[in-house]
Amino acid sequence: MKTKFKYIMLLGLGLTFFTACQRDLLTPTLQTAVSNTSAFSTVGRIQGQVLSLYAALKNGNFYGGRYVIDGDIKADNFINELSNLVTGADVWNENPTNSATAVLGLWSQAYYTINCCNVFIDGMNAGGTAVVGSTLGANYIAEAQLIRALSYYSLLQYYAQPFANGAGAKPGLPLRLTGIIGTGYSALARSTVTQIYAQIISDLNAAETGLPLSYSTAYNNTTRAHRNTAIALKTRVYLSMQNYASVITEANKIVTATAPFTATSGVANALQANIANVFVSPYTTTESIFSMPMTSTSGDNPGTQNQLGYYFSPSAANGGTGNGEYSLNAAGVIADPLWTATDKRRAFIKTSGGKSWLVKYPTGSPYTDYVPVIRYAEVLLNLAEARVRSTNTIDPQAVALLNAVRNRSDASTTYTVSSFASVAALTAAILEERNIEFLGEGLRNNDLMRLQLTVPAKGSAPAKAATDVGYIWPISASELALNPLCTDN
Amino acid sequence: MLMRTRMMFVAVAILFIGQLFAQTTRTVTGNVTDEKGTPLVGATVTVLGADRKVTATTITDASGKFSVKVSDKSRNLQISYVGLDEQLVSVAGKSSFSVKLAASASNLNEVVVVGYGTQRKKEVTGSASNVKGGDIAEKPNQTFDQALAGRAAGVQITVPSGVLNEPPVFRIRGTNSLSLSSYPLIVIDGVPSFTGDYSSTNSASNALASINPNDIESIDIAKDAAATAIYGSRAANGVVFVTTKRGKLGSGKAKVSYDGWVGWQNAYGLPTMLNAAQYLAFKGQAVANNPSQSAVKFTQTNDAHGNPIDTRWFDYIYQTGISQSHNVNVSGGDDKTNYYFSAGYTSQSGITRKNTFTRTNVLFNIDSKVSKAFTIGGKISYSNELNTAATSSGSLPGEAYNTANLARTGMVLPPLLAPYNNDGTYNINGATIGYANNVSGTSISYYNPVPILNLSRSNTEVNHIQANTYLQYKPVNWLTLKSLYGIDYLLLNNDYFATPITGDGYSTNGSATDNYGQYKTTIWTNTASFDYTFAAKHNVSLLIGNEQQIRNSSGYGLNRQGLSDPAYNVIQAGWVTPNTAGLTLGQNYLLSTFGRLNYNFNRKYYLSGNIRQDEASQLGIKKGVFWGASAGWEITKEKFWTNAGIDKVFSSFKLRGSYGKVGNISGIGDFTPYSTFSSGLYGGAATLGFSSVGNNKLQWETSTKTDFGFSFGILKDRLTGELAYYKNNIDGLILNVAQAPSTGLPSNPPQNVGSMYNKGVEVSLNANIVESKNFSWTSNFNATFNTNMVTALAPGLSVIQTSTSSLETANQTAPGYSLGYLWVVRTGGVDPTTGKRIFLNSAGTPVYYQYYAAAGQYNYSTTADGLTKYVSPTGGTSITQAADAVMYKPTQPKAYGGWNNTFRFRNFEVNALFTYQFGNYIYYGTNSGLHDQRFWNNATDVLTQAWASKGDQNKTYARPVFGDNVSNGSALPIDINVFKGDFVKFKNLQISYNIPKSLLTKAKISNARLYISAQNLAIFTKYPGPDPEVASNGNSTTGQGIDRNTGANGRTYTVGVNIGF
Repeated sequence: MKTKFKYIMLLGLGLTFFTACQRDLLTPTLQTAVSNTSAFSTVGRIQGQVLSLYAALKNGNFYGGRYVIDGDIKADNFINELSNLVTGADVWNENPTNSATAVLGLWSQAYYTINCCNVFIDGMNAGGTAVVGSTLGANYIAEAQLIRALSYYSLLQYYAQPFANGAGAKPGLPLRLTGIIGTGYSALARSTVTQIYAQIISDLNAAETGLPLSYSTAYNNTTRAHRNTAIALKTRVYLSMQNYASVITEANKIVTATAPFTATSGVANALQANIANVFVSPYTTTESIFSMPMTSTSGDNPGTQNQLGYYFSPSAANGGTGNGEYSLNAAGVIADPLWTATDKRRAFIKTSGGKSWLVKYPTGSPYTDYVPVIRYAEVLLNLAEARVRSTNTIDPQAVALLNAVRNRSDASTTYTVSSFASVAALTAAILEERNIEFLGEGLRNNDLMRLQLTVPAKGSAPAKAATDVGYIWPISASELALNPLCTDN
Repeated sequence: MLMRTRMMFVAVAILFIGQLFAQTTRTVTGNVTDEKGTPLVGATVTVLGADRKVTATTITDASGKFSVKVSDKSRNLQISYVGLDEQLVSVAGKSSFSVKLAASASNLNEVVVVGYGTQRKKEVTGSASNVKGGDIAEKPNQTFDQALAGRAAGVQITVPSGVLNEPPVFRIRGTNSLSLSSYPLIVIDGVPSFTGDYSSTNSASNALASINPNDIESIDIAKDAAATAIYGSRAANGVVFVTTKRGKLGSGKAKVSYDGWVGWQNAYGLPTMLNAAQYLAFKGQAVANNPSQSAVKFTQTNDAHGNPIDTRWFDYIYQTGISQSHNVNVSGGDDKTNYYFSAGYTSQSGITRKNTFTRTNVLFNIDSKVSKAFTIGGKISYSNELNTAATSSGSLPGEAYNTANLARTGMVLPPLLAPYNNDGTYNINGATIGYANNVSGTSISYYNPVPILNLSRSNTEVNHIQANTYLQYKPVNWLTLKSLYGIDYLLLNNDYFATPITGDGYSTNGSATDNYGQYKTTIWTNTASFDYTFAAKHNVSLLIGNEQQIRNSSGYGLNRQGLSDPAYNVIQAGWVTPNTAGLTLGQNYLLSTFGRLNYNFNRKYYLSGNIRQDEASQLGIKKGVFWGASAGWEITKEKFWTNAGIDKVFSSFKLRGSYGKVGNISGIGDFTPYSTFSSGLYGGAATLGFSSVGNNKLQWETSTKTDFGFSFGILKDRLTGELAYYKNNIDGLILNVAQAPSTGLPSNPPQNVGSMYNKGVEVSLNANIVESKNFSWTSNFNATFNTNMVTALAPGLSVIQTSTSSLETANQTAPGYSLGYLWVVRTGGVDPTTGKRIFLNSAGTPVYYQYYAAAGQYNYSTTADGLTKYVSPTGGTSITQAADAVMYKPTQPKAYGGWNNTFRFRNFEVNALFTYQFGNYIYYGTNSGLHDQRFWNNATDVLTQAWASKGDQNKTYARPVFGDNVSNGSALPIDINVFKGDFVKFKNLQISYNIPKSLLTKAKISNARLYISAQNLAIFTKYPGPDPEVASNGNSTTGQGIDRNTGANGRTYTVGVNIGF
């Protein structure tokens, strides 16, 4: 009896030993993320991925913040107040090292964005298009191509010599067009500037074909790429390449021949009557061809020390909403006597604590003002400049375009052909107009460099001539350490 | 057929062995006492038959008496008691016994805990150390691991700061991983515990804090493959078995004891800062030396009483922390059931204001013999811990460069500034301290610590439940089946609030983050163990088992910003933004089978083998088999040894060796095999973006461990010792191998790529130096000499740089060096003529540096006059860390250990523990800040050690030039801030007095003891910082040896009493 009991006990324990395993737990199910193998399995996931490409572009290191900020602080209109290397003191001082926060951050975020586009395009071609249908599939791929092109273009502006220096023969960037999801792809040499620009144009041309003409909401027309976005960006890219004929060709697609200048196909892009309306909620006027939307939800705004308002607006003690990182250079564009006191754009300047500050982005923490990527005003001035440079005359349309931008903010000034004594005077006026119009929008440094102009000294920061070391940034130290084929600037 | 019949017969025969022996029986009785004649309660009496077969066992009762049945086949009674020498007496012709057990001269007879069981220490052939619970009790520690420093060979404990409840750096035989955890596996009463800091606030929360050190019976530390392989894929860093106290069977009446202490703690080794007058003069000179900064002005103002402001910031940050602790326990047992119950309360205040640790805990252990064959038992332990801090102390990993960092604030802020304005309000200017009255021409970006200390908080509350229950079935003497089910639930509430009036919370008008996290382990272990002796001399024991462990983690929380009313300070109040915080969800599963076979022949030759198969859900290749084998030879049992007379000197001498392969998966993410896309937002719409690169081929790190050595006892074990050589080859180190950023991967994919080794020698000696009636001196010394070497990293990855708080990188790990090597730029002193800092570039060429370069001069020049522009070998024009830093000094110590002494004189006992470490270097980054020439306050040595006038020879610091943050090492790490970390620390001194029994009996107290103790009483070191143990990067494997803006360590004095009823 006792023996039998013991056997039963032993058997019972033995059985529980080997039957209670939960082997299915060895292959856990992802509950908070989606495996790469099923990321293209539904329409919703693919749509989510399209938006993630914009989100990558919107990152605080890129168009959500620092890319735009650096475009201003590297140039001549701002004075660094806090000497903080984390907030670009070295960018301002024209001496960032290979391992500077700015140099590392932009490089890696832009390439992350590029790779996401590549992975997306590959995935769409491998089956994603079949899931969403060919029309949507083509739209989505075009959006990815546009974002990829914009990313490459943005990298070129800091890490490569301007196209004008050697007509694009200088080292450009590692050109990556295939999605990478694993190890072993680090080594890749830099293509030339020309080769990168060729890819950018090719992508933008494809995007122009593939993108929808417009979306159903003003919000989407500003925050997602449509056909006019691709065209508008091409005017910027060709201007950087000094291919003025192409700037004109592209701009003419979306700019009428005479004032009022508007886009007649696709989204009805046009200047707003009052520039102030462009920078206030809902930020989705037809002037904002492409902007980065922000909300107060964490992760949906630029994040700590990346926000334009945080850099440019003075601290609360000085009546602002920012950290007072950069004040306006008293000797910069604000000193221009032709920028009249009644110009509405002067309203973006606040004087306090004996200094002037840019308050174009006035919303405080968590800084939800949309960041402009490209505005219609730029297309007009791109066209104006291209016309002057390609005709080498005081081009009446160029004057009209310039006047459209100036006159809407400064009713007291009306430019006519007779306002300009020479072609050079008109060119200078267009450049100065850009300087005023796009203050704090990240274009200033690119404007100087595409023309190989010296970046003027400001405060204690030295001037940088096109021939100086440091005119362009060094290559990311991480890239140099891990990509044996990459060379430094 | 025949075979099967025979097997059956054997099986049946074995099952009936118990009955077979129960033939003609008689009862023998006896009593067991210690040397002094005190009855021993709960001593084990085992009846042994031929071939040492166990035929019956019993234990002595409350008066030390026993009664047991013996048969005519019984040969001996084996009487044993923990800590005393075992005795074997013949039963032949005797029916009454009086046995006196002598105190064991050594610990070789002790029982030690091994995986899934216990073993006699002298039968252990693996490498293990044991620490008694008594050695770590009564100390002002928060966790037992802090108290292990210096107490066991091979074990290195570094307490990285004075922040209460920060986990120590715990290493066994060196650091054995690069990216995974190097913290050993901690197994508490059979259940693997959580380890590390689980807090997400600025207060630390060691997961081991739930174990009241006073409840610990013993700690056994398994080091080599033989001792650890039974824990397979988690064994590479060693395994620490913690056994809590249990009642003793047969002890009768409940024993009650109380232990309590009060203590106070102070920071030591703080730097001496310039006072206001010195600051004015020195900084004034620095400004005068920099024509470009002539706008900078410092002004002395008066306080409300009309006295010049001269603030010693440390006085507002550090404090004398008062602590107390109370523990009560009740234990006892009859002949069937034993129990232990304890309750503890401790409330401790740290050296930094608002830093506290409060723990309330209870523990209940019970074991009950339900019948002859069944035993059931279990444990339940609950602990509530509250860890508080106001803000960043600067000492926890990641805090070094926090603007709020209190330690840093205390050093940086000028003494000219006051914490309060003269009207009594806080002296603030937005987020920062107000400075307009005293400093102009430069801005001060640091916070006034006083309002933050008063108004902000960063607390973590932990509820920790650890429980298990087991059923043991012993159908026959040689077979034990056991099933154990255990849980470990760690539940945390993090509560962070930053005041809106200044500091971190200013820009967001206040900020609060509260989150709840829970970490749950459940484990079910089933084992069968066979213990059998045959043919008199062959002892075999076999253990087989299976185990499954599930760990779940989840967390959620809120981050809110923008207070709607300035009086609010809780997250539930009105705020503007609601963001999520601390969202986590994870699960992992470990399914294992394991076995151990021990064999010894005549207790002379020992063989042991361990094997474990683990399947881990976190890996791509899930299944791994781990093993360890060892052998031992007790030479004293050999005839030639006795013939040669060596046994007269050596009472024991055992050679042993082991070899095996174990793994490490500690700290690996739950979902590493997967590449994932995760959700985000774009203007409020959901996105799905490429977020993480996985590796579906990932497997555990492999440790191949070799160990051999010997242990010995001399003069009847009055001196015992062990010497061991070990080598641990680690292959397949998991590294998150960075790919070129242009590949655009969102994360660095984990790969099994690197390799490294640790090898060394460890020695431990225990001696009863003096043993007399009134005076005794016992001493324990241990030393470990370790060599660490990284032999390979990933292809294309030549170095791993480890930054401190993501800002400064002074550690670099590279093949051919020990891990975490200091990587700094060399200097060549200060030029006596000009006072310029001389750097050495990569080629060793001197480069003169001046922060301010007059027109026509250069910042970096190859000539002292600054007129020759420096051009580096690669074309650069400045000294940079990337181009010019060199692999400078190791951070891994060459030797470490401890020396523990106990003196008894009549009723007094003095215990003194020294710990030491040699051969490592520390990058004292704080030192650069102490000599920074921005507005920062400086250490007083600038008055004598900074270059002041032409001809000043051998100065440490350059000519002060306002703004200069390069010459001193703030901008790039330089060699003048690297110091030797050698130290000898008087870690513990305890003096206790046992109140004589004669005084106690009237008070119905059975024993009472008073003690005073001191912790960190003295440090003998040349290290100039507060304490060479203080470190910035916590348990980081590759970031050791950095002391950057950390707070000081604490010196604690306690007075306590211990009473038994």
